[in-house]
Amino acid sequence: MKNLVKILDSVDILKMDRRTFMKGVGLLGASTFLSTYSTQIVSALEFAETKIIWLHGAESTGCSESLLNASNPDVAQALNKLNVNLAYHETLLAQQGIWVDGKLANTADLNSEILLEDLIKQGNYILVVEGSIPMGPAGSGRYLVIGEKPFKDTVAEAAKNATAVVAVGACACWGGITNANSDIVNDTDYRGIAFAKTDPKKGLFTELGIDKPVINIPGCPPHPDWILLTLGALILGKVTLNDLPSILDEYKRPMLFFPPDHVVHDNCPRRGYYDKGLFDEGAGGPNCLWKMGCKAPYAHGDCAMRKWNGSVSVCTQAGPCIACVEPGFPDSSRPLYVEAEDKGVLLGADVGTIAKVTVGVAAVAAGVHAVRRMKGE
Amino acid sequence: MKSQAGNPLVVERYTPLDRLVHMVHAAAMLTLIITGLKIYFGWSFMSFHTARGLHMFAVPFLLVVNWFLIPVSIALATEGGIKDKFLHFANHYVFGPSDAARMGGIIGNFFGKGKYPAFSVYDESAGHYKTKLHPLMKILIIIEGLAIVLIAISGIVLYSLDWSFLGLPIASWILTVGGMIAPAFGMSSLEFLRTFHLLLTYWFVFELVVHVGILELDPKVWKYYKAIFWSGKEDVSDGNYSEVINNHSDNLPEKSHGSEKVVKARKS
Repeated sequence: MKNLVKILDSVDILKMDRRTFMKGVGLLGASTFLSTYSTQIVSALEFAETKIIWLHGAESTGCSESLLNASNPDVAQALNKLNVNLAYHETLLAQQGIWVDGKLANTADLNSEILLEDLIKQGNYILVVEGSIPMGPAGSGRYLVIGEKPFKDTVAEAAKNATAVVAVGACACWGGITNANSDIVNDTDYRGIAFAKTDPKKGLFTELGIDKPVINIPGCPPHPDWILLTLGALILGKVTLNDLPSILDEYKRPMLFFPPDHVVHDNCPRRGYYDKGLFDEGAGGPNCLWKMGCKAPYAHGDCAMRKWNGSVSVCTQAGPCIACVEPGFPDSSRPLYVEAEDKGVLLGADVGTIAKVTVGVAAVAAGVHAVRRMKGE
Repeated sequence: MKSQAGNPLVVERYTPLDRLVHMVHAAAMLTLIITGLKIYFGWSFMSFHTARGLHMFAVPFLLVVNWFLIPVSIALATEGGIKDKFLHFANHYVFGPSDAARMGGIIGNFFGKGKYPAFSVYDESAGHYKTKLHPLMKILIIIEGLAIVLIAISGIVLYSLDWSFLGLPIASWILTVGGMIAPAFGMSSLEFLRTFHLLLTYWFVFELVVHVGILELDPKVWKYYKAIFWSGKEDVSDGNYSEVINNHSDNLPEKSHGSEKVVKARKS
């Protein structure tokens, strides 16, 4: 790694092709990458400014919190280095929505909703959506209304003038927890930007007839590197919209961070215990958590290599992976702490139970058959 | 080998190729089941890497046997054209109406009604078997052939998520197809394929129990153990599960008819 850093350190970032750039950010992580190239980035973008509009739908703001947890650089340093104007972010900006008699009042300096309208009119921004978007009840979208406007209409308006759309977090990607199976899921009808669970036909954009390329950064929450580096690649022009088909998988996830040929299990800190056949069956042990329902063998993410919390730890060091980066999360991972092979597949029975019953019946039948044949009956 | 009437009619039931195929198949299958379940359950008698190595070592043997040697063996079992070979395959390996009748008799016998019907039928006049497998075995063989295809396909993804052949992204295609079925079981494609691989492993365990337990755990069929593992011969006149049709009294030594050779036919 040190040699790689040394080699990349001598490379002019502005002459770096996209492939090398993507490899670099994949291997180095946001902090090393941005600190290595900070001078070049700043000088290159001295006169350029990229605006970001960051909308919040139905969510916990955990994705923004994850981004704020970024360190070295923290989000402010990163935005500064990338010369980004985070023009609108509901939970970070100072303004707030002001309505008088149902009408927007004051100016963009004080009123966030006027600010948003102005920014959308000006165009030339990257739209980031965090959180899901309700279509319910009955397609009206009125389960999430800001002022008098359903959130789905706000997203639709903002998407039209955006240069790129990035869905951040499981909720914005698939509907997430708000779209998990429940008695009211059909009534609330939460959608992701490009998918509803794993169905692209029910994604918000398809539903509303919006034809905009989307990048999905799933996770609950996503790693700050995934967000910063994706935005960084877009801002630096290292990734253009024409490149998206070659760098995104079928679920619109950057393959760099969510590699199709790699799962979290491959580099899990507990992997050695799996290799030894040592499995934990209760909380607190040091062994492989597969039998406790760990979904790392099914989760396409670079979590175990990139590590979290300032690159010091990863979820599986504490407990089973819940595959929060996978399409359709959380339903696709439920039940969270049951091994995938133990899921009911036939009248609630798992394959192990089915096997025990059928092999048991066959063994008994074989025994009876043998006794009868030996007796010559 | 003693015949009931002291009049043996010993014929070649399994060619050397049949016996080789069966032994390699059995060894590969047992290796795959044991190492596969070790990997899944984490049994401690072997390291993961040894189990995986043995597992991958056994795969080509099983596939070559099933997808090459068995078709060759079936093709060589008859003279004539494709139609003759197809008919031979249908008569010997496909469960048909006569097998259904035999199966009915076997089930009836299991519950105490009637005699156990003969399933190994030798046509002495034609000089070859008309059919020779237990009807249950015919069902198992066809399902097994399909199961081997499916477990190999699902196994590709477990082996490598980006496995390709001649530049074709085979693993990616398999995951795509798996993704069409998986949601019906509330699983991702990879979860489904892993679970399906396990289910098919259990199928082979079940098949082993039925094959060895129900079909073979009977002193009167132990002659077939000797035939399949060593001699290749059967005395079709001994009356236990075998029947000779169109028989005549002028059996001659080393007489050969069609595909099945009468290796030793004589009057005592």
